[in-house]
Amino acid sequence: MLTRCRDRRMRVCHFRVGTCAPLPPSHTVIMGEVELSCRAYVKMYLHACLYPRGSINGLLLSSSSAEGAVCVTDCVPLRHSHLPLALPTQVALTQVDAWCSQTQQRIVGYYQANACASDSSPTQCALKISDKIAEQFDGAVLLMLDGSKMPPDYRVPPIVMYERKDSRWILKDKHMIMLRQWEETRAIASQMLEAGDHALLVDFDSHLDDITKDWTNQKLNAKIAELSSPPNGNI
Amino acid sequence: MASVSEMYDVGWEEMRDKLRKWREDNRRNSEQIVDVGEELISEHASKLGDDIWIIYEQVMIAALDCSRDDLALTCLQELRKQFPDSHRVKRLAGMRLEALERYEEANKHYDAILQDDPTNTAARKRKIAILKAQGKSTEAIRELNEYLEQFVGDQEAWHELSELYINEHDYGKAAFCLEELMMTNPHNHLYCEQYAEVKYTQGGLENMELSRKYFAQALRLNNRNMRALFGLYMSASHIASSPKVSAKVKKDNIKYAAWAATQINRAYKLAGRGTKETKYSVKAVEEMLESMQITMS
Repeated sequence: MLTRCRDRRMRVCHFRVGTCAPLPPSHTVIMGEVELSCRAYVKMYLHACLYPRGSINGLLLSSSSAEGAVCVTDCVPLRHSHLPLALPTQVALTQVDAWCSQTQQRIVGYYQANACASDSSPTQCALKISDKIAEQFDGAVLLMLDGSKMPPDYRVPPIVMYERKDSRWILKDKHMIMLRQWEETRAIASQMLEAGDHALLVDFDSHLDDITKDWTNQKLNAKIAELSSPPNGNI
Repeated sequence: MASVSEMYDVGWEEMRDKLRKWREDNRRNSEQIVDVGEELISEHASKLGDDIWIIYEQVMIAALDCSRDDLALTCLQELRKQFPDSHRVKRLAGMRLEALERYEEANKHYDAILQDDPTNTAARKRKIAILKAQGKSTEAIRELNEYLEQFVGDQEAWHELSELYINEHDYGKAAFCLEELMMTNPHNHLYCEQYAEVKYTQGGLENMELSRKYFAQALRLNNRNMRALFGLYMSASHIASSPKVSAKVKKDNIKYAAWAATQINRAYKLAGRGTKETKYSVKAVEEMLESMQITMS
């Protein structure tokens, strides 16, 4: 059956976005702050663009152990169909866990984009998986991609973030969400979409359909790194 | 911007044949269909003969999928000129309204078709699709159930209903829909495997045993179905570690799980040969299987 989903469109939102200036060496990290790297954002974005007609989700990873702040340095795209069905997600979580312990990373959060572009509220499935992640990591975050805020000319990160307080997921203060070099990140995401690079993205669903496909997306990571300007601190 | 024929060095016949193949396979690769179809229509329309009408339809639907209303309108207008009273074309006009999110008008379109022809399944299904697009899952489910009472053999509808139920976490009813599909398509490994996944998600010993049986069945039908292999491993492991099973059942399921684990390892080793990217997967799978052994024993 053919159902049409809206283009993921955009709206203005207030986030603290970094400028292109390099980080001063004495930058102190604020308690409860969450930083989203270029690589993590671009892959999430491409995942959403690769499957625009359905819900998608994935895991957020961190390779840093900075105290007080959560630095999302990477993400692993998981599903693009039948999100509530448990088996592929369980297999994925165990494999990603194993990979993380080999590579000094940890799972720090979860992202999802809903099929209905105008609805960015977390589903039962999103809450369940995020709860599981929060059991293992205190500062876990739940990130919803807001499809209504993603047209070609969007200005601000189309994301809504939740954090866990008193066993509930509540909206995180936008000012505590940091995207360094946002303009550049946005440009890279758009450029890669234009070039059709989203077709290279592998999520766990497509890995299970063909296990020669690499769900760590090394190729895509390399492309993103290539397109980034010489590093000013983390990207 | 180079044309499709230039980029891929193909002639118009190949483009036409490609479109036909995509039609027959019911593929939703809309961006490609738009690229190929638009060029074919604008430059080779005269050579296509009567094929052109079905191509207009195919390209129009793809154009709607890509927000190319300009192209969609062009195709629609050609079709309207040629088939002024056709319900099939009216349905396309309705789909265009849906794409523009003018759902009220679209519904009126479909209602008009149904007034004329109450057995028009396409119009009924479009109305259900509108409910789905509007996020009205409960209504969509109710309408689809009513539809299936009348058109009980419509497999596409059964599958759509199973998806709607899965999204509502109503696994019992999703399983029922998949049972219908398995009955009419006993050789389709995907329905078996999806049924098994639903049972697995439902949980509980009885469902887990059913799940294991159907994962095994899916593997019999297609021994390369990786999800079924993982499913067999996980469901057998769960049964083996349940305190409610007899020693014999435990022993049997440990055997099944061990067999599945060997197959998984073998498949990953084969996949990992020659590609350094998949080395992460291979190692991760080994660790995963080891860690589950620990919880099982």
